[in-house]
Parts: sequence; C-alpha cells; structure tokens
Amino acid sequence: MIAGEDLRQAFVVASYEIRKYLRSRRLLGMMVLLALIIGLILGLPPALGSPYPSTPNAFVGTFAGFTALFAVLCGVLFAADALCSEHEKRTGYFLFPNPVRRETIVLGKLLASLAASWTILLVYYGVASAAALAVTGSLTAEVGLSAAYALAYVTCIVGVAFLLSSVLKGTIAATVLTFFLFTLIFTIIGGLLQVGKVSPWFIPTQAAGIISNVLSAPARGPPEFPTFVPDPATSLLVFAAYFIVSVVVATVMFHRRELKT
Amino acid sequence: MADPIAVKGLGKDYGKFTALGALDLTIPAGICFGYLGPNGAGKSTTIKILTNLLRPSRGHATLFGIDVQRQPRQALRKVGTVIETPEFYGYLSPLEVLAYAGRLRGMSRTDLAARSETVLKTVKLAGWADKRVETFSKGMKQRLAIAQALLHAPDLLILDEPTSGLDPRGMAEVRDIVKSVKREGRTVFMSSHLLGEVQEVCDSAALIDHGKLLLQGTLDELAKRADTSLFQATFLAPPNPDELAWIGMVEGVKSVNPSGNGVVEIRLTGGPEVQAIVISAIVRSGLQLTAFRPVGTALEQLYLEQIQETAQ
Repeated sequence: MIAGEDLRQAFVVASYEIRKYLRSRRLLGMMVLLALIIGLILGLPPALGSPYPSTPNAFVGTFAGFTALFAVLCGVLFAADALCSEHEKRTGYFLFPNPVRRETIVLGKLLASLAASWTILLVYYGVASAAALAVTGSLTAEVGLSAAYALAYVTCIVGVAFLLSSVLKGTIAATVLTFFLFTLIFTIIGGLLQVGKVSPWFIPTQAAGIISNVLSAPARGPPEFPTFVPDPATSLLVFAAYFIVSVVVATVMFHRRELKT
Repeated sequence: MADPIAVKGLGKDYGKFTALGALDLTIPAGICFGYLGPNGAGKSTTIKILTNLLRPSRGHATLFGIDVQRQPRQALRKVGTVIETPEFYGYLSPLEVLAYAGRLRGMSRTDLAARSETVLKTVKLAGWADKRVETFSKGMKQRLAIAQALLHAPDLLILDEPTSGLDPRGMAEVRDIVKSVKREGRTVFMSSHLLGEVQEVCDSAALIDHGKLLLQGTLDELAKRADTSLFQATFLAPPNPDELAWIGMVEGVKSVNPSGNGVVEIRLTGGPEVQAIVISAIVRSGLQLTAFRPVGTALEQLYLEQIQETAQ
C-alpha cells in the first residue's frame, strides 16, 4: 500500500534519478541522437532531390520507423541499471538504511525512467508533427495514436528492463540483455513462432508494429514479407501485461534482495 | 522507553555456513558499545541485519522496540548508520548527498541547510561541499558517510568500522566525534577490530567470533577477566643466560623469553603482588631494569586469549 509519505519519498528518489540522467549526459546523449535522426529524415530528401511524403501520416510514418529503436534505447539508458547499480556500485549502503521502503525506491526510479523516456518520445513526435504540419499543412488523429502507442511500448520496455535490473547482478548484463531482448531475441522468437504457424501476438516487438501500422494505408493484396501485428487493443494489453507483471516481480525481487557485497 | 538495540536469537546462514549463530544482545540508551571480533566474525552481518540490508535466518532485532524486518521505516527513523565504506552517487556533491538523505527523512529546508553546514564542518569537509563525490578519496567518502549519519541528529548511531580508510588524524577526529555524540546522551554501537579505539571511546563491549558471542560487559568488567600475566622487562644490558635462568627461578615467574635489545618477556602466575615481588627481586639482584610494563592492554589480552580459544 502506497501512502502519502511513500509518494513524497518516491518523488525525492525520482528527482535524484533525473539528476543522474542529466549529469551523466544520458539525456543529452539521447537528445543528440534524436537531433541526428530528425536531421537525417528532414535533410536527406531535399539533398537527394526527392519530395517529402505528401500526407501527414506518410510523413510521420518515416519518423515512426525509428520509434521502436528509440524506445529500446530509452529502456537501456534510463531503466536497465536502475536497480542493480545500487548493489553493484554499493550505493545501497547509503540509500537503503534510510527510513524508506524498497517499494518506494522502485516507484521513484520507475517514475524517473518513465518521465525521461516519455520526454524523449514526446519531443520526437512533437518535432515530427510540427514538421508534418509545416510540410503537408495538416495533421491527423493517427499521428496522435502512433505517439500514444509509442509511449505504451516504451512503458512496456521500461518495465521489462526493471525486471532484468532486479534479477541480474551487473549493470552491463542488465543493459546488454535489455537491448538484445528487444532488438534481437523477441524478434527471433516472433519469427520462429510464425514459421511454426503460431501466432506471436504475445511478443511485444510484434505488438510494437501498431506504432507504424496506424499510420500506413491499408495494404492492397498480400505483402511480400508478411509480419504479424496484433490489433491495437491486443497490443496495448500485451504492453500492459508485460509492464505490470515485470514491475510487480521487480519490486518483489528488489525487496527481497540482500546487500551482501 | 525501549532499549535502542535489542537482539534475540538473531542468526544468519548462507547455505550451510553460519555467519551468525543465535545472538542475544541488549544495548541500553546513552552508552557507546564496542562490537569486537576478527574479520568474518559476524560483526558486519549483525549490523546489516540491524539496518535491514540482510534478512535474518532466525530470531529478531528491534531498534527502540520496533522490529527492523517488519517495520524498517519506523525502526530506522532515529538511527544514523555508516556501514563499511559506502559509495555515493559520483555525480552529486556532499551537500546534495546530504540533501538527498535529509529529504528522504522529511527534514525541512532550513533545518537541512543548517545541519548540513554543521556536519560538514564536523567531518572537515566544508571546503569540499560543492565538489562532486566522484573525485573523493576513500577517506573523504568515509567522512561524508559519517556526516550523513549525523545529519538528522540520530538517537542511535550504528557504525561499522568507522575509522576504516582514514589516516591517523582522521581516526582521531572520528573518535572525538563519537565521544561528543556520547556526551550528548546518544547511543553509539560500533564494530571495530581496533582495540585501542574501542578502549578509548566505549563504555561497554562484546566480543564475537565465528558468529558466537564470547563475552560481554563493561570495559572494567572485561579487563578483570583478562589474563594480564605477560610483562615486558627492559634492561640496560641484555641479561646473560645465567641471569635469565635466575629470573626464571624467582617466585611467581612462570616463563622467561628474551626478545632482543635487552627486552625480556616474563610471564607471571599471579596479580599485582607477584609483580611487586618480581620487580623487587630483579632490582635487588643488581640487574639494571629500566622498564617493566604489561604486554598489550587488558582488552587486547582478553581478545587474543578468547580468539585463540575459539580457533582451537
């Protein structure tokens, strides 16, 4: 049960986590990467003499193709080491003997991770929307939906990253596994399931297809390389399930984990 | 009011290895209690259970009557801790580290600012208040750890090897801090294997080894239990073998061992009366005795004796 005192303490923890992102230049690094990608998307077509997409959905769709990668990087940079670093770097000896519950520490760190990740994606979609409005003269509700799906996906990734951070001993292992889980392992599992004629609706990287799909025109005829994407409602449920289960398990693990080093 | 620390049947196992047996310990308010033992004795395990870093395998620990495992937040509210040499977030300055701890404890801004200034001065880190901790030496981190432990003026200070990593001057300063905390009527529980340190600042002590409590009492009580029978006699000229043999035959002398440079270790069989007899006999014999003093302190002898016994 989270009481008022817990919430106050969670915000204290969150504020110092965000200070960490700022001073370790993780947030700045992500912003620089964001600027580079945006620069490429906006700068390449004129440089190559190609026209920009003419509809807002197609225009933002170009941006949406990179959203999943940004979401994974957010999970890696803002969540993967959040819990295990307290043990590995021995900062837990300072933090844990304070009168603060471990659950509150998890909540504070989670709030900070989500705030940083959402900020990155909202800035990305904000710039994409502004550019789409400037180029095509209009915006659609689908752009907003794509942004909402992206936020849901990054929330799922942050949850899973917290789970890995709570069970793994080292920050490097947690970071690397988070990255490869969402860029490689889930994709391979999804592909193998499809080969075996099993619907991979429960694989989050498959569900993340809704971020781009919502901006695409309905396909005419079967695509050359069909990729299964669950419907938006199922996808959102998958994201929510991964997030909730991961965060609950991470909280229990973090609560039970002893500081022995 | 409940005792600051009360431990009953407290134990911790790691698989088949027992780090702490079944410890019973009560620390009354207002004293400085030394927790002595060699490396691996179970001192840090006890302290980590008291501060909710480890879960006990059996028994329970209370701070001011509140169970640490069941209500850690309430139990740790009036407690300041230094456990080993903690690491701090390198991107923060000492002032920010203290602000983090103070805000978690719900301290007001004005109180926090005033106390931060005071404790940083106390640990001689005022000149480094705005520098990032990542540049600090181990000793400076230890000073910061002590500062954060003192920040909220806790009623109970739990210190695990508080002078670890400090130079002799720093060690003396920490001892002064502990003494001043004790003078203010607060309770200090400190683990150490520096017997001189414990003897200087503590009122009572316990000796632990292999997870078992061997002895407990005031320093005076413990001193009385010590085997203070080994003395070091220093002569102007090293005694020859005949003279050594003669000393060995003096009433009350159990053994005689020359250790070079005119120094002879003499083990006696009795108390101060025997010492007087032996000194008097040596002086009367014409041997030029320049010093006669016990080897080590009573606490040190007791420690060595007890640890040797458990090793056997």
